[in-house]
Amino acid sequence: MPADKRLTTHAIEFPYTRTLGPVYSAFLTGMRDGQILGIKSRDGRVLCPPTEWDPNTGEGLDADFVEVGPGGVVTTWAWVTEPTSKHPVDHPFAFALIKLDGADTGLLHAVDAGSMDAMQTGMRVTARWKDERIGHITDVEAFVPEAAK
Amino acid sequence: MTDAKQPDAKQPDAKQLAAKQEEAVDPSAPVTGMDYFMKLEYHELLCPVVREFADALMDKRLIGHKCPKCGLIYSPPRGYCPICTVQTTKADEIEIQTHGIVTNYTVVTPVQYYGQEETEPFAKVSLQLDGGGTLSLQDLPGVPVEQVHPGMRVEIVWAPDDERHVDDVTNRSWGSAEGAIRGWKPTGEADADPSEYSDKTF
Amino acid sequence: MANDIAIVGYAQSPSWRQSELTEPQFLFPVISEAIERAGVERREIGFTCAGSCDYLSGQTFAFVMNLEAVGAWPPITESHVEMDGAWALYEAWVRLQHGDIDTALVFGSGKSSPGVPAEVYPHQMDPYTLTPLGADPVSLAALQARAMLDAGKITEREMAEIAARSRKSAIGNPYAQVTGDDDPDALLKEPYVTAPLRRHDLPPISDGACAVILATADKAKSLSKRPVWIRGIDHRIDIHQPGMRDLTESPSTRLAGKKAGVGDAKVDIAELSATFSYQEKLLCEELGLGDDVEINPSGGPLAANPVMAVGLARFAEAARQIAEHGKGRAVAHATSGQCLQQNLVAVLEGD
Ligand SMILES: [Zn+2]
Repeated sequence: MPADKRLTTHAIEFPYTRTLGPVYSAFLTGMRDGQILGIKSRDGRVLCPPTEWDPNTGEGLDADFVEVGPGGVVTTWAWVTEPTSKHPVDHPFAFALIKLDGADTGLLHAVDAGSMDAMQTGMRVTARWKDERIGHITDVEAFVPEAAK
Repeated sequence: MTDAKQPDAKQPDAKQLAAKQEEAVDPSAPVTGMDYFMKLEYHELLCPVVREFADALMDKRLIGHKCPKCGLIYSPPRGYCPICTVQTTKADEIEIQTHGIVTNYTVVTPVQYYGQEETEPFAKVSLQLDGGGTLSLQDLPGVPVEQVHPGMRVEIVWAPDDERHVDDVTNRSWGSAEGAIRGWKPTGEADADPSEYSDKTF
Repeated sequence: MANDIAIVGYAQSPSWRQSELTEPQFLFPVISEAIERAGVERREIGFTCAGSCDYLSGQTFAFVMNLEAVGAWPPITESHVEMDGAWALYEAWVRLQHGDIDTALVFGSGKSSPGVPAEVYPHQMDPYTLTPLGADPVSLAALQARAMLDAGKITEREMAEIAARSRKSAIGNPYAQVTGDDDPDALLKEPYVTAPLRRHDLPPISDGACAVILATADKAKSLSKRPVWIRGIDHRIDIHQPGMRDLTESPSTRLAGKKAGVGDAKVDIAELSATFSYQEKLLCEELGLGDDVEINPSGGPLAANPVMAVGLARFAEAARQIAEHGKGRAVAHATSGQCLQQNLVAVLEGD
């Protein structure tokens, strides 16, 4: 940097504590207990992650939860060559939308596949759980190719 | 907003978050809350007019820009007068005095929210410098907060030569420059008459 | 039926990779130029609306500092959206419908360079299931691009062609940041950044600003020989969770385009907020824009991407085509959120 330029540094920090409401509470309680929950919409579809309202109609949903996964199918994916410090995996990985068995929608999560060559739309993956779970989306450390489990 | 040099010490990691959650609730009870620690870092070039201000501080000088239209003095300079909507340049730069009058103050009684490092009540004052120019968010170190009042005559206390720095001067520091200006001390002169500052009490 | 509102002035800053000026400092000449070009008195402007994002610059209430570039004393009537300036334009358009004022100043500005965009943007996502994964816009766009590739709706070659054409169009644009005469085949030899996206499929990181002056019909006619009329404007939104909608479609764009009247007559040019190369094809399909429509003659967001101003800049560029280059009918499009979640579409016409 030339001498006439000067870089300044500052940071913002917010230690948030969020309440969850009935639907995310059930979902994250499930994560802590090692099960992934979806919610049934009135037209019989299973949404995962579960939402409080039907995303198509805006109707409130009853607390009708069903267990989905832990296996599922990759419907689309992106290979992240340089993870940021905020990503769940610290080495190259795939972000993917995963339609879990029993669900009709895609869950966004990481697929730790080792290399891009191991990724393919339509491939089967399954959840790799953390040993210490706290009720958080990253209680599933990442999904992994089903054959590799 | 906190100093980027210190934040890591307080950043809770996943284990701490888990511990916090477990101590609060029975491990089999429903999860009802989620902690999320947000931290974002920014690296910004110091804008040229504030760079000039910072360089002047290292020479123990205070500078500002005087609006060519209304005569208001901005320190640190902004590069424009927002009242007249005219731009100001190096040609509008003036040196301002390092003594003046306390025009207003506030006493902050710290609440120990995350990031608050102060524990005792402290005062921040606004100053009208003799000959023109104002500074806000200034400190009067050593002056008991109950003695701070408008009209006090004060002079600058520069940081010693070997300690003086402008690392904390940013585009948004609004004249607060603790690395260069330790604060202001009462001169002991009689208070200024309110007519000298009553229309300048930001 | 809405009252006719026209664009009577516009200005932009260059798009910089890293500006050493503060946001109000680089906004200052842009706002002054827009006001000057419109020929209105600053103090006569009835309403001011700004679009910016405090998280970009990392300062709470940064948008209040930006008002210093406006001239806000004695107090003015103003508003702010934490959105692209195009949505500030929409608010000003609605405000002008009241009929009690005749002019409005709209601006959008952003400094993306100080932060790390891939770390800032996840905070606009669902805070329970997406933010904690660090779901960043490039990764999410890559998911959408892959979905389109898999569906046979685009090829990587077409994506490179869009990028090459955008860079070439930008050569004559003084505000552009990325310009050049690239061979699509050469671009395709570059490595992936986030597969299936390569560097050319991504927008640059930019600092910059844009301002537009709006006027009601009578005022516009008195101010300008060539007012650019906003004939239709609408914005719509899709589902937030990227896994709950078909990423190969953009129903919100389709509906907003229909409501704005895009298909009611021939379109000459379109300025689209296709922030990633593949999005251009998706947007053209949803808006019904065929091969006879010139897309992004300015180079678009792939050439200059001052976030929070880039959508409003589409209005300025579309208006320029009508006021300065004799085009008759133009479409301006702005987007917000990931994977084209929210879309604003307007139809602009000359007299
Ligand atoms: Zn002035």
